[in-house]
Amino acid sequence: MTTRAATSGLFGALLAVSLSAFGQGAPPSIPAPPRSPEQIFATTCGWCHHRGGREAGKGPRLMGTTLSDAQIVYRIKKGRQGYMPGFEGSFTDEEIKGLVAYIRGLQPQ
Amino acid sequence: MKRWQTALRTVVRAAASLALAGLAAHTWADVTFDRIRAADQHPGDWLTYHGTYRSWHYSPLDQINTKTINKLEVAWTHAMPHSVRGLQSMPLAADGILYYSGSYNQVFALDGATGEVIWYYRQKLNDELVAKQTHSPYNRGIALGLGNVYMGTLDGKLVAIDMKTGNLNWEVKLLDSEHLTVAFTGAPLFVRDAVIIGSQGGEWPYRGPIFAVDAKTGREMWKFYTVGGNDGSKSDARNTWGNDSWKTGGGGGWMTGGYDADTDTVWWGTGNPAPLYDWSGPDWETAGARSGANLYTTSVIGLDPQTGELKAYHQELPHDAWDFDSAVGEFVLLEQNGKKYMVHPNKGGFVFVYDNHANVHNVWRLVKNINFVKDIDPRTGELIGRRDLTEGEHKNLCPFIAGGISWNSGTYNPKTGLYYKVGNEWCMDLTVKKTTPILEPMAQLNIGADFSLVNPPDGKARGHVSAQDPLTGAKKWEVEFPEPPLASLLSTAGNLVFVPDPRGWLRALDATTGKELWKHNDGQGHNGGIISYKAKDGKQYIAVATGWGGLAGDDYASFFGKPYDTFPKDSGVLVAFRLP
Repeated sequence: MTTRAATSGLFGALLAVSLSAFGQGAPPSIPAPPRSPEQIFATTCGWCHHRGGREAGKGPRLMGTTLSDAQIVYRIKKGRQGYMPGFEGSFTDEEIKGLVAYIRGLQPQ
Repeated sequence: MKRWQTALRTVVRAAASLALAGLAAHTWADVTFDRIRAADQHPGDWLTYHGTYRSWHYSPLDQINTKTINKLEVAWTHAMPHSVRGLQSMPLAADGILYYSGSYNQVFALDGATGEVIWYYRQKLNDELVAKQTHSPYNRGIALGLGNVYMGTLDGKLVAIDMKTGNLNWEVKLLDSEHLTVAFTGAPLFVRDAVIIGSQGGEWPYRGPIFAVDAKTGREMWKFYTVGGNDGSKSDARNTWGNDSWKTGGGGGWMTGGYDADTDTVWWGTGNPAPLYDWSGPDWETAGARSGANLYTTSVIGLDPQTGELKAYHQELPHDAWDFDSAVGEFVLLEQNGKKYMVHPNKGGFVFVYDNHANVHNVWRLVKNINFVKDIDPRTGELIGRRDLTEGEHKNLCPFIAGGISWNSGTYNPKTGLYYKVGNEWCMDLTVKKTTPILEPMAQLNIGADFSLVNPPDGKARGHVSAQDPLTGAKKWEVEFPEPPLASLLSTAGNLVFVPDPRGWLRALDATTGKELWKHNDGQGHNGGIISYKAKDGKQYIAVATGWGGLAGDDYASFFGKPYDTFPKDSGVLVAFRLP
């Protein structure tokens, strides 16, 4: 069993306990990792980074960013107080790497 | 008696008087349910978030009026430390003492005349959790009752702080925020012997519970799931959610509801369903992410304050496909020609008028740029010409996701008979995408689209404050603002409407005509509450929250530019005004 699968299993169990403690019944099935950057944008990042990261909104425009890959990874993991939450632990390193590649590949629509 | 004994007695009496004077400088009378019900007899107080249970955001004080307003000046200011995302709260006032909350669940009690600190409280939070939340770390307000100051926290607790000392009396953990991410940012409501508070919800894959807790002990009394109702009870409405989508349905009740003493009913506006944007298009009843009406999201619900049982409801937007919560709106209770009404604004830009059992009496438009529906039937509340969205690109959906109406409260003035409210004119382009809820290891937002803010078809994005008949919507006057104001309004018996604008100007308008009579630059944008109260010096004060950086305001720097790109995002100052 891989570390991520083991982790998924543990968190899944915790989630099941939490949800049933609130009268939820059986928890919904956990999606298979990794989640695509397009999915992560459409659920989460797009709330602040408009037009899929092509336009500034609550957060800056990501298309054409001058930040290095390491700086982007740092920002995604640690966030910025009052501006952006930190996603370390919420998204895997593989998913964050995928987000960097997605940002680098952004073109005007 | 010898002379030295007389002198000693005089000294002792003088010392005792001084000590008593010190104590008497801050006297507390208990804030009880009966006292809040009788709020009209205490015009110098502001005992609950919406002013009184009738939610008028109105002060009967008239020392500050259209004749004296030109002399209004700053009395004192108070800075909230670590005020990340500004100051979004509504202060409360009881017996000349001001209580107000800020970011990271801090609370101050201040002398209302001088701004001097009486006590300070800071909640010990799960900082790691808070750093991972989007709708954080602000707090929108508190409740007073039974010697306590009640507050919901960023990590899912309700706390009771001693009103006299600022010590923690008790705390109760209500939400597993560490897994579910959602917590509390809205002010609780104290009713009878319960404290009621609604969780965040619409953007996250959970069920958006509203809780009631015993006001004395913190024991949980009941919980109502805004998504699907309570399992197995009369309110069970999970069958209005396709498949298992109720388990991740969003909802919530993130702003403070109201209370109708005549029917003993707590009214609460509920949040939108998740994902915010469903790809079902017109087949929403049978297909998509969450097929069905999705009760009780985007609804007004009436609950029994003792049991949490659902007494009545109206779903303002069945299968809300646009994130136009009912949670934003205050419940203005008023009487006209012997009939009782409940006026409730919805985020989509319509204002619903109900009788006191949530039967629709009328629906009127506050905002011009609306195309998510063609109209809403004013007699039944039925949506006409829904604009349901399929997967893919859509242009010019109006209003913008931040709403034609946002969570900043309006005000009803019984002297003019008018309802004053902020409306927002802006739209959006979006690309709807199929999403899967992200639940592990921590629940994430489930928006369901990429989007951006655009100008409306009729010109530039803007806002307005208008005065209208609350029941018919007939407009008396309107004042336009180049950017939508995001702070609550206040009206007073002095025939004034106070508008704290987003650029930082606090403006006083003539309530009858809308003419601007006075303004003051408070130094940074307004995105919170404003009240009026009487301090111990017998004077009327206006207290307004200043400080920018809320989620709606975050779009202003990139879209509108100056001065928003110069505002600090970690500054919150309460400014109090009075006449000399």
